[in-house]
Amino acid sequence: MSAARDRIFGRVRAAVHGRKRTDHPGDFLGWRPASSVTDAVAGFTEMFTAAGGEVVRLASMGLASTWLRDFAAGFTGVALGASLPDDFVPDFSLAQPESAELGVSTAVGAVAETGSLVLDARDGRRVQLLPPTHVVLLRKEVVYPTLAEALEVVSRDPPSAVGLHSGPSKSADIGQILVKGVHGPGRVIALLVG
Amino acid sequence: MTRARPADYPQAAAATLRDTPEVRDAVTAATRTFDTHRRESWAQIDAERWRDWCRDVKDHVLTHLDDLLEQAEVRLVANGATVHWAEGAYDALATLGRIVDAEGVRRVVKAKSMLTEELGVNTFLEGRGVHVRETDLGEYIIQLLGEPPSHIVGPAIHRSVDDCRRLFHRHFGTPLDATPEALAATARQALREEFLAADLGISGCNFLVAETGTLALIENEGNIRLSTSAPRVHVAFVGIEKILPRMVDLSGFLQITARGATGQPIGTYVSLIRGPRGEGESDGPEQVHVVLVDNGRTTLLADDVAWETLRCVRCGACLNICPVYRQTGGHPYGFTYSGPIGAILAPALLGLEEAMPLPFASSLCGACADVCPVRIPIPDLLLHWRARAVEAGLTPLGERVAMRAYAAAAERPGGFSGAGSLLRYVPWKRGGRALPVLGGWSAERDPPEISARPFHKLWREGIE
Ligand code: SF4
Repeated sequence: MSAARDRIFGRVRAAVHGRKRTDHPGDFLGWRPASSVTDAVAGFTEMFTAAGGEVVRLASMGLASTWLRDFAAGFTGVALGASLPDDFVPDFSLAQPESAELGVSTAVGAVAETGSLVLDARDGRRVQLLPPTHVVLLRKEVVYPTLAEALEVVSRDPPSAVGLHSGPSKSADIGQILVKGVHGPGRVIALLVG
Repeated sequence: MTRARPADYPQAAAATLRDTPEVRDAVTAATRTFDTHRRESWAQIDAERWRDWCRDVKDHVLTHLDDLLEQAEVRLVANGATVHWAEGAYDALATLGRIVDAEGVRRVVKAKSMLTEELGVNTFLEGRGVHVRETDLGEYIIQLLGEPPSHIVGPAIHRSVDDCRRLFHRHFGTPLDATPEALAATARQALREEFLAADLGISGCNFLVAETGTLALIENEGNIRLSTSAPRVHVAFVGIEKILPRMVDLSGFLQITARGATGQPIGTYVSLIRGPRGEGESDGPEQVHVVLVDNGRTTLLADDVAWETLRCVRCGACLNICPVYRQTGGHPYGFTYSGPIGAILAPALLGLEEAMPLPFASSLCGACADVCPVRIPIPDLLLHWRARAVEAGLTPLGERVAMRAYAAAAERPGGFSGAGSLLRYVPWKRGGRALPVLGGWSAERDPPEISARPFHKLWREGIE
């Protein structure tokens, strides 16, 4: 190990030595207790929509697949995430994420308290970010009430990276005026099944 | 670069007010918006409990930092990342230089990071002939302007829409009446090419989780997600104080940081990065380098009073509410971090002499302490550094005497408001040194009307 590392640790130990140690205060309690999945779905929908996201809720995978086929017809070039179920994919005109107008991927979870989709790198990060419109397949069963629960679940079998996406890309860097779709998708739709 | 040194603060602040009065309008409007959103957002939650919890977790981290850093390092290495340690900016840049050389890096995209500003990463890379592009829209704007950031969260808040229109007209030929949407679309297109052509992506880090070796980064645009996943190499610069013990601790910190910064329940994008592209993953970097940076932080940690400064999550809430910061924005401070947090970080990171007179650039109204999500007692720490400055003979005699009285008054319960009230009776004199604590500052400004009521009372009544 490097000499720099040793000197930094030496200084940290010297600084911490003799100082009263503070215990970890324990678990953080979310701001909005949502105990049932029904509440979680309602909570997610409210928060995700408030952040500018859209939610389309359908009762079955079959209906969702039909909806997606109709929706995708308006786009030239669709990029697909690696974990999308095979039977879910109608015959789109496929494209690479760099040139696709629409990206379709699958969420491994969602969070009610923050209105976040939990996206896994194994699905492909470019498809989640490059196309201007992003549709995310989300099963009702993986909508968690709190961020802590979702983080706990994704930590069990973590990919190299997880993205929490809570609405469309936005910026107010030009004169404090809100603009959507700066780098990531300007439109993001949670296709909620169940 | 228009940046001054801290020593030039009084002159630079006066010049900003005199020569570019529109900066005050832009900064005041933007910070008031940020602060209003924060206030509304905090009203929805039990903010006082959240703040206690965040303070305690950070105190736990800072009093167990050696163990937690070791744990983080072990986890990162197990995840396939390469860990580097840097004592100062020189080391950190040398590490970056080695990676650039070894990987033949020609093009770099950068995600917004205050630590890389602190280290001077852009100047270093440009000096080696490497093409560097900032990708956060605000950072991109100021990079094109050749300016440093003027706010921790909104680097370009001192610039108006018209400023941006003129800038984009010069660079891209967009019309002078282009909409913000059209300007953003132009930047999106230019930067999309940069992302896809870059060999290296550089980021900072908001939190590093010790138990899993996870880097957490917060943003709204998607440029951090792209900078950390499109190029084949990712280098993250991480201040050693950025540790959180457990993955679940992120839930509180991600939420309070966003609510404190912009009032959002969470940043639009959060990247949680463990290491390089895994097996079966179609994209993501082949190498992830994590550079753990000290650069003065251990000196601050050793200070029995000021170590609490290291709890800071860089949310910018203290800047947004600061009546002094609102006058000028960040440039006159002459330091990467401005506003109240800048005034208490500068003495620690630059050395007190170099940081003078920033600890004096405050009316001690106390508003910053009321909003800090990790409850850093900023006014107490300003007084701490002022007292140190007096001890070290870094202030003129008159200020030293006044400071002792001021500090003594402030130490007593209720003394803080008493000291402020006292100050109101000290006569202002044009160009003079009559107002002791603000002597150098007042010399550059017209004496203000002294209000019949103390500032912090007006503040609490909501009148600015
Ligand atoms: S000192 Fe507190 S309020 Fe200021 S930036 Fe840091 S965490 Fe935010």
